[in-house]
Formats: sequence, structure tokens, C-alpha cells
Amino acid sequence: MNVYRNLTIKQKQIVWAWSFLAIPVLFYTVIRFYPTGNAILISFQDWNLLGKRTWTGLDNYEKLFADPAFWKVFKNTFVYLLIGTPLSLIVSFFIAYNLDKTRFMHGFLRMLYFLPFMTSAVAMAWVWRWFYQPVPIGLFNNFLSTFGIPQINFLNSTTNALPSILAPAIWAGLGFQIIIFMAGLRAIPQSYYEAARIDGVSTWTVLWEITIPLLKPTIVFIVVFSSIGFLRIFDHVFNMTTGNPGGPLNSTKPLVLMIYETAFSSFDMGYAAAQTVILFLVLLVVSLLQLRILRDR
Amino acid sequence: MADLALRDLVKTYDKTEVLHGINLDVHDGEFVVFVGPSGCGKSTTLRLIAGLEEVSSGTIEIGGTVVNNMEPKHRDIAMVFQNYAIYPHMTVRKNIGFGLRSSSAPKIQKEARIDEVAQLLGMTDLLNRKPDQLSGGQRQRVAIGRAMVRDPAVFLFDEPLSNLDAQLRTQMRLEIKKLHQRVGSTIIFVTHDQVEAMTMADRIVIMKDGYIQQVGTPSEVYHTPANTFVAQFIGAPAMNMIPGEITNNGSIQLETGGLIDAGLAARSGQKITLGVRPEDLSEHAPASFLEGSIAVREPLGHETLIYVNTSVGEFVAKADGRHPPDVGATVRLGALQENLHIFDAETGSTLA
Repeated sequence: MNVYRNLTIKQKQIVWAWSFLAIPVLFYTVIRFYPTGNAILISFQDWNLLGKRTWTGLDNYEKLFADPAFWKVFKNTFVYLLIGTPLSLIVSFFIAYNLDKTRFMHGFLRMLYFLPFMTSAVAMAWVWRWFYQPVPIGLFNNFLSTFGIPQINFLNSTTNALPSILAPAIWAGLGFQIIIFMAGLRAIPQSYYEAARIDGVSTWTVLWEITIPLLKPTIVFIVVFSSIGFLRIFDHVFNMTTGNPGGPLNSTKPLVLMIYETAFSSFDMGYAAAQTVILFLVLLVVSLLQLRILRDR
Repeated sequence: MADLALRDLVKTYDKTEVLHGINLDVHDGEFVVFVGPSGCGKSTTLRLIAGLEEVSSGTIEIGGTVVNNMEPKHRDIAMVFQNYAIYPHMTVRKNIGFGLRSSSAPKIQKEARIDEVAQLLGMTDLLNRKPDQLSGGQRQRVAIGRAMVRDPAVFLFDEPLSNLDAQLRTQMRLEIKKLHQRVGSTIIFVTHDQVEAMTMADRIVIMKDGYIQQVGTPSEVYHTPANTFVAQFIGAPAMNMIPGEITNNGSIQLETGGLIDAGLAARSGQKITLGVRPEDLSEHAPASFLEGSIAVREPLGHETLIYVNTSVGEFVAKADGRHPPDVGATVRLGALQENLHIFDAETGSTLA
């Protein structure tokens, strides 16, 4: 105890800081860093989960880059990202912006928008899957048929399947983004708007020159957050396309689903690890790019 | 530049009436300060003039036109907010120029106007900075610049100095006053600080609970307060209030035991409150009416405040800065007849 007492205040703070940090550091090392390192290692090996690991060098990566299925999946993943992120951003901002001005049933409406976020993705995917079924089961096609509009093949078409899966995925994340946007909107002092009203600038100018620039930290957060979400999309796709995972001709298959199949259907752990490393690099690059671009210019 | 007139102005929120019929004429080029404790309705009145709140009844005229149903931008006013409301993501130039966004003037003319205003406020070299690179006083000046750039008929200031430290506040007070003398526009200035009101105003409007208590020049409200509220609100430390009664021969019998010859025989038997400012209380007055022992001394350098304990409470007086009486000493204080304020004890309004 004497040793501790003789430390300077600064040193005591360091002792305390590290004793608190020890648990998360240990946790991260065992749960995060060790598996990450191991995955990178396995990506250079051949392993079927039970047998011996054999060193194969860059074989897994060479196979991956030569695999047309990988490039299809890679493209799908970016389609999810490039449609999903901007669309969900615009829709959630539009809803939040208007909900913020609504006094009538404000709490109830906000709850309705937040509800999907709290719902299990699996349950949601299966409900949407039912929506998409052909007549006489599916809600959408039944609705269309009452107006005599021809059937739409939602999940079994190579062109419609991906957007059909993206829609509930966007919808599911909307509630969270709306809440974050509303918090951001609330944080803007009312006097900014009042000053603009007195200066007589248009609503459009206020939106583009005051509201959106001041929401920038919120926008950065949502863009990064939802991009990571769309790059890692899995549960919606998996549950809406069971029986034919990844949709017709892999038209909806994202990278994570491919990794899952390679690892746990084909038991080709080395190949799956190589795909995981690529996903990790993509996530890293996309996040860093967004942070760089969207930070202060 | 223009006159401003408020006629029977009433504001209600749901069922609560917060302004109960305000009547006021502000002349062209006048500097009028609204002062009162929080919740007195001074800011609400300002926001009604600005058009940020809707008038419940009564009228607001600016330059002879009723503006009740006009959008703020059509009222030819500009406002400076308590938190300045300058946009953190824009440079000083853009902030000042924001007020010109809706104007149809050519760009060169707008730029020239921004430069002119910047020069007037002495911040030409700050035009390309962002607000977070400015000090509190400089931000304040940007806010004033944005208001000035449109050359409005009426300037509205909503407690603009309350976020500044004491020293800067004194400095900005002076700057705003000088600016007014140079530009000569009509200014309505809201504050809760009576010192700001006294130092800057041509006329002070003292408000309480949604009513105007008194309108007058700083000297008028100080020397002839309309009621006990004004008397105690203006001036620091506040005026001493001594309860008493008018005797049959028209003198005032104070509860402190003092007797003052007042010649108010017509009001004999009436309960009154006698107001005396601390600086008017003196040991050398012809007749003393207050006796007690000194409980506390507060030396201020040029003078010392002494708190005197009497049978009816504590009163404050100003004493010499160099040789104040000792704590515990007994003093007998009085004041000149002309410095006494007599109020009705029930209504609080001034008598005679």
C-alpha cells in the first residue's frame, strides 16, 4: 500500500485508468483481436474445420479473384450500399424533418417509425416474404390484382429480387436513423431559424444553408453507420431467400452470405477467411473515405 | 427609420394572458430599453414587434403601418439575439451578408455594404474568420453587423449582453450607445439589468407581470418612481422601504419611531411606505428617523455600505469610504425632505 501512497497524483490516475481499462482490453484481445488475427492467418491456409491446417499462401485470394460468383456478390454488396445508404438517409431525413414540426400525435408517430427497429429481423423478413408471394397469398400481388394490374415477380426475378429485399432492410433501419436525425434537429438553436425568418430568406435556403450544414455531424454518423450495416447485410437476405439462398442466380447474394455458405456449407474455412478479409478491407476503406470526405471541408 | 406604436397589445398563450394591454409610443431614432425581472413580458413584447409571435389583440404600428399580420421580413426590422444566432459554419462575411440574401441588389453592391458595415464595427480584418475563431465581444459585433447590414427601420436587441463577462459588457454597452448616436436608428433593447437600462436608454420602460409600471427617462424613473416596484428595481442597492402611518396633523409616524413633518393632513390615518435611497440616508441630516446598530459593512472603496439593524428590520445606507463607522456602533440616520418617497402601503403607488 505504501508503494501506491508514494505515487504522484498523475501516476495514481494512470494506475486507476489501467485497472478499469484492463477488463475491456482483455475482452477485446480475446474476443476481437485474436479472432481477427486468426482469420487473417487462416485466409492463407487450407482448413476444413476438423482436419489439419495446411499453408497455401495466396491460393485462396487467387481463387477468389478468379471466381465470377465472388464478383457478382461483390457487386451486389455495393448495390446494397449505394442504393441503401443514400435512400435511407433521404427518407429518414424527410420523415424526421417533418415529424419534428408535427405536434399532432407526435409521440405515437415516432413510436410507429421506431417499431420496425425493435422488431426481430427474421420475423420481419418472413412477413415481407409473405407480402411478396404471388396471388392468392401475397399481399402486394393481391392488391395489384384487384386493380387488374399484372403480377409482379418480386423474389424470383433476377432484376426485382435485390430491390425487394433492400426495401424491408431500409425500412427496418429507418426508425433508428429518424431518432438520430430528430435529436440532431432538436440540437439546432431555435434562434438560428428566427434570425433567418427576420432576414427573410426562403425555407429552401434555410434548409440548405442552415439546417443541413448544422446537421453534418449527424449525417456523418448515419452515413457511416448505415453503410456498415448495408455492407454487412445478411439476415434479411438469408431469411427471404431460404431454399435458394442468395436468390435466383445469386442475384441478391451479399458478401456475408457467401462467407457463411463457404464456411458452414462447404466447410472451406480458408476460402471463407479470405472473403472475410476482403470484407474487412472494404468496410475499412469505405468508412475511412466517408469520414474523410464528410468531415469538415 | 420610423416611429413605433403599440396599442392595447395583448398576448395570451392558451388561456394564460402574459401581456395585458401594452401602450407605448417610440419615436424615430429613440433608444428605448425594456427592463424588468424574468417573466415580466419584456421579451414577449419584443418578439411580438419582431413578428416571431402572433399578436392576440391590439396593434403594432411601424412607421404608421399596422404590421400585425406581416411576416417578420416585411416589417423592416432587425434583431440581435441573446445567443447571437450567428451561424457557426459560415464566415463572418457570409454571416453578415445573410441578411442581404433576400435582397435583389446586385452582388457588388451587397459586398460593398458588408464592407461598409464591417468597417463601421471595426472588424474588416475578421471578415474571413469563422465564429469559433472569434471572442465573445467579436461575435456580438457580428450579430450587430448582420442586423445593421439591411439598414432596418427598427433594431431589436434581446438581452444581447447577458452572455458576456462584466468587463466586456460595460465595453459593448458603450459601443452600442455610440453606434446609436452615429447611425441614429430606432432601437428597442430588452434587458433584465437595470444598470444597462439606466446607462443606455433615452427612455426606460419598466415592466412587471405583463404590465408597464413606468415609462420615463433614466432620471425620471430614478428620482420619481411611480411605485414601490420601480423604486426598488431601479438603483442598487435597492431603496429602503420603511412602513408608517400619516398622523392627524399630517406628519408621518414611522414604525421605526421616527416622526417626519410631511404636511399630508388630508390623508390622515393612511398607511404608507416611506422610501429612502441608501445614498440619501445620512447621519448629518437635519432630523433623524432611523436608529440602529451596524450589523455588516461592505467596503466598496469609494464608499461603504452599512447595514443597520433596527426594531423593524434591516436598512442599508451609504457611508464614507475612508472612515466608515464601526460594526456594532449605533447610528441615527435621516434624510432631506426632498429625497423622501412616499407610497401608498396598499397599492404601492406613489403619493403626492
